[in-house]
Amino acid sequence: MQEGLSEIQNQAKDDLAKAESLDAVEQVRTRYLGRKGGIINEIIKAIPGLPPEQRSSTGKSANMLKQEISKWIEDARVKLADKEQTSEAKEMFDLSLPGEHKPYGHRHPITQTIDEIKGIFRKLCFDIEYGPEVEHEYYNFDALNIPADHPSREDFDTFYLGNKRLLRSQTSTVQIRVMEKKKPPIRMIAPGKVFRPDTVDARHASMFHQIEGLTVDEGVSFSDLKYVLTLFAQSYFGQDVKMRFRPSFFPFTEPSAEIDISCSICKGKGCSVCSHSGWVEVLGAGMVDPNVFETVGYDAEKYTGFAFGMGVERLTMLRYGIDNIRLFFENDLRFLSQF
Amino acid sequence: MKISYNWLKDYCKYDLSVATLAERLTNAGLVVDAVKPVDDDYCLEIEVTSNRPDCLGFIGIAREVANIVRSELLIPDVEYAASDESVNDITTVTVEDKELCPRYTARIIKDVKIGPSPEWLQKRITSIGLRPVNNIADITNYVLMESGQPLHAFDFDKLSGKEIIVRRAKNGETMEAIDGSKCALTEEMLVIADSQKPVAVAGIMGGRDTEVSDATKNILLESAFFDPRNVRRTSRKLCLSSDSSYRFERRADPECVDWASRRAAKMILEIAGGQVAEGVIDQNSLESKKVSVTLRMSRLNSLLGLDIDKDTVKDILERLQFKINSVTDDCFSVDVPSFRGDVYREVDLIEEVARVHGYDKIPVKSNIGVKLTQDNIFDKVTEKTKSVISGLGFDEVITDSIVGELQERHGNIWTDDRGIKIMNPIRQDEYLLRKALAHNLLRVKKHNQNYGVEKANIYELSKIYLPQEDDGMPEEKECLSILGEEGFLSLKGVVETILSQLNIVQKLESIHYDFGLFSPEKSAELKLGGSVLGYIGELSREVINDYDFRSKPCVAELDFNILVDKANLEGSYRKIPMFPMVTRDMAIVSDEEVIWADIKGCIESLKIDCIDGIEFFDVYRGRQIEKGKKSIAFRLIFRADDRTLRSDEVDALQEKILENLSNAFGVKLRA
Ligand SMILES: [Zn+2]
Repeated sequence: MQEGLSEIQNQAKDDLAKAESLDAVEQVRTRYLGRKGGIINEIIKAIPGLPPEQRSSTGKSANMLKQEISKWIEDARVKLADKEQTSEAKEMFDLSLPGEHKPYGHRHPITQTIDEIKGIFRKLCFDIEYGPEVEHEYYNFDALNIPADHPSREDFDTFYLGNKRLLRSQTSTVQIRVMEKKKPPIRMIAPGKVFRPDTVDARHASMFHQIEGLTVDEGVSFSDLKYVLTLFAQSYFGQDVKMRFRPSFFPFTEPSAEIDISCSICKGKGCSVCSHSGWVEVLGAGMVDPNVFETVGYDAEKYTGFAFGMGVERLTMLRYGIDNIRLFFENDLRFLSQF
Repeated sequence: MKISYNWLKDYCKYDLSVATLAERLTNAGLVVDAVKPVDDDYCLEIEVTSNRPDCLGFIGIAREVANIVRSELLIPDVEYAASDESVNDITTVTVEDKELCPRYTARIIKDVKIGPSPEWLQKRITSIGLRPVNNIADITNYVLMESGQPLHAFDFDKLSGKEIIVRRAKNGETMEAIDGSKCALTEEMLVIADSQKPVAVAGIMGGRDTEVSDATKNILLESAFFDPRNVRRTSRKLCLSSDSSYRFERRADPECVDWASRRAAKMILEIAGGQVAEGVIDQNSLESKKVSVTLRMSRLNSLLGLDIDKDTVKDILERLQFKINSVTDDCFSVDVPSFRGDVYREVDLIEEVARVHGYDKIPVKSNIGVKLTQDNIFDKVTEKTKSVISGLGFDEVITDSIVGELQERHGNIWTDDRGIKIMNPIRQDEYLLRKALAHNLLRVKKHNQNYGVEKANIYELSKIYLPQEDDGMPEEKECLSILGEEGFLSLKGVVETILSQLNIVQKLESIHYDFGLFSPEKSAELKLGGSVLGYIGELSREVINDYDFRSKPCVAELDFNILVDKANLEGSYRKIPMFPMVTRDMAIVSDEEVIWADIKGCIESLKIDCIDGIEFFDVYRGRQIEKGKKSIAFRLIFRADDRTLRSDEVDALQEKILENLSNAFGVKLRA
């Protein structure tokens, strides 16, 4: 009996393969599965006449075969239906039509730059810290060794809110807040908004973003500073970037440096972006001034450290060749959707 | 500070092209911003940082160049032959306020001949952008630029009482300055006066009345040291500044006062003739305090990461005119010259050595090792939230924290208190710290509509600043504001997607909220587990008209800190069900007052174990439904964890649900 079933199985498969129309498939179905005279049904009907030990196994096999053939018939129908429909259709599907688009949301280029820089410094084991944007004068100036009535305050021209409050003009404030809270070793960057009452033009906005960095530990030296910032520049601007560390002045670092990178636009030959010098200033940095350590109660003899700061808009402008800082805050979607 | 390439050679011989000179100065910390050709000369514009007033004169710059090229610094001769008459017999100087004027010197030069300067002098001062006036003014300017010490020449015969009194101004006194500005003086200001009136605002500008003119015969030459802070304050108050005030503010060299005076006297003698009276009146109350600093080689090398030797350090310091007192194995003891007020600690000397030795010689190497960084939950939630919103097609914007009155116009979101005022705004109409983000998004939407972008699905995640009592520090609230163009429920869906992606399981409640920004109907306060998450609504007609919007945007503004608090980024895996679900679609007819939340809540309250979901389909009102009623369609999903549910079981549950709904709200199954 079992051999008989497998023969029927093969036969049914062949018959279906030969059936080239829906009608032909229907004939095959009637032949095998028809309620009256269908081969499988006949077998099932005959089961009670079999020897008792064969009844159950034959019944199972026959049912399985019935299911299998039903499935084949269904498949054959679907296939043929598709085929008949296509051959009937006069329309041609235009494969060259554009794909349908779901809206794609973009992150602001400034966010993207901050995220990328955070990623680089995370790889260098820096923590990410944040501080308030409305600050007490103390954190923006005094604690950073910027005395009242000193011309150096002019470099950090500031919006005042009264009652010794101001909009921070630099993210260096976060240095103090972190050192007040924690003991060395410290290795952190602090991204955020800063504000300066600059006349708004292509290069100046009254609100922009900075990223401050700070490392404090025993034995931290100027060569560590050069090392970390070189790794950063290579990571952000590419391996062949050339760097220049120039002496400069910041009240909260001593010695202080400004760091230029070779102009990526003109490859150092001189262009309008680099004011024809071949160099572009991208970072301010220096060894933390002992006065700052004293202010936060660190032993300036025991601990040394370096700090650095960079302008996010400037880095983004350099990266993409953007010539007007105002574009970042106008939020024209035709601009934002390019990033 | 402007420097002439040729003129600088007077003080230091160098054989550098102008480009090389500019580069070397830049590398030593004196950034050359621009080099401009002037006739056969060049003008270098040098950015002098506020800690280096000693470089606000040619000699100071030459000192740096001499160090760079290792040549000698050449200081001009200031010896001249004086007349027999003593200056003390001609005039007197009284310094009433020694704190604001620690040193004042006066020389008298008689019988000068005022006229144009010789061509060489005119050329020099022209080369650095100054305008020649007459020989006396040109000489005082020349010496100022050369030495960094400001000078002033008075027409001596116009000084009442033939005397100088250095005193504080009296409230109400006025003076017309050389540039024509009228100065209203106050008692905080220091003036140079004669016996009757102020003749100069100390350190800032002389008065017109006593200015040297063609008719001038006798001159009183002032050279002084004024308190930097007072000069700065006065200059700010009067909105009056000059090459003199610029230098005094940054602290001129008190020991250069007499040298510059002699130098000018000698030049006047040579160029304008006349006789210099014998001697000088020098009212000097400055204690000559020597600043001595000890520098440890070990500290220098460890701070810089260098291995520099003692001879190199000694050479650098000496060329910068630091006087080396004593040397031990590890230490130098050094006297700081008076013109380097910025150097008073060991670290300042270390900077000098590093700067001159060259930052490029410091190796790029590190011994700070690896460490584990802290997790930053805020960053993680921010990252996740932004990726969800971006994924839903919204563009991120960043808008200005400083806004105008507009933010108060249509109702306040977070506080009714007035926003914090900026005391010195740059735009008259924008002087407040924002206390919501929504209004800024509306402006962005407007801007884009103006440029033909009709749909702006945008969001911002930034701080707002909520004022606190007694002008305290504001609460800086991190907010997430979203503007959507696809209707209220679509935007609510965005909020719900954010919550579910942050694995926040607490129920989001929408409670009707009257709010001017939003339409009377579609306006809600969003609550999450009892705390106010934020607000959502469709803009009111008024706002839409106000902004002239051509679409009907919806806005949601959320307290992002609540999301950070409640987010669960750990998450956990839920087993995929083993047994199939059974679904039943239902449509019920109810009164208008019955809301979806009630229906859902009612079903949930039955606590039927095998209900796996209640999905809302739609609300229908129309011909097939009785007037004043609505049909609510939804799907019930049933599933058991341990077996396949039988159809009759589900039928019974569905029946139970309908019965309860009907008892609670009088609903009927839709026919
Ligand atoms: Zn370039």
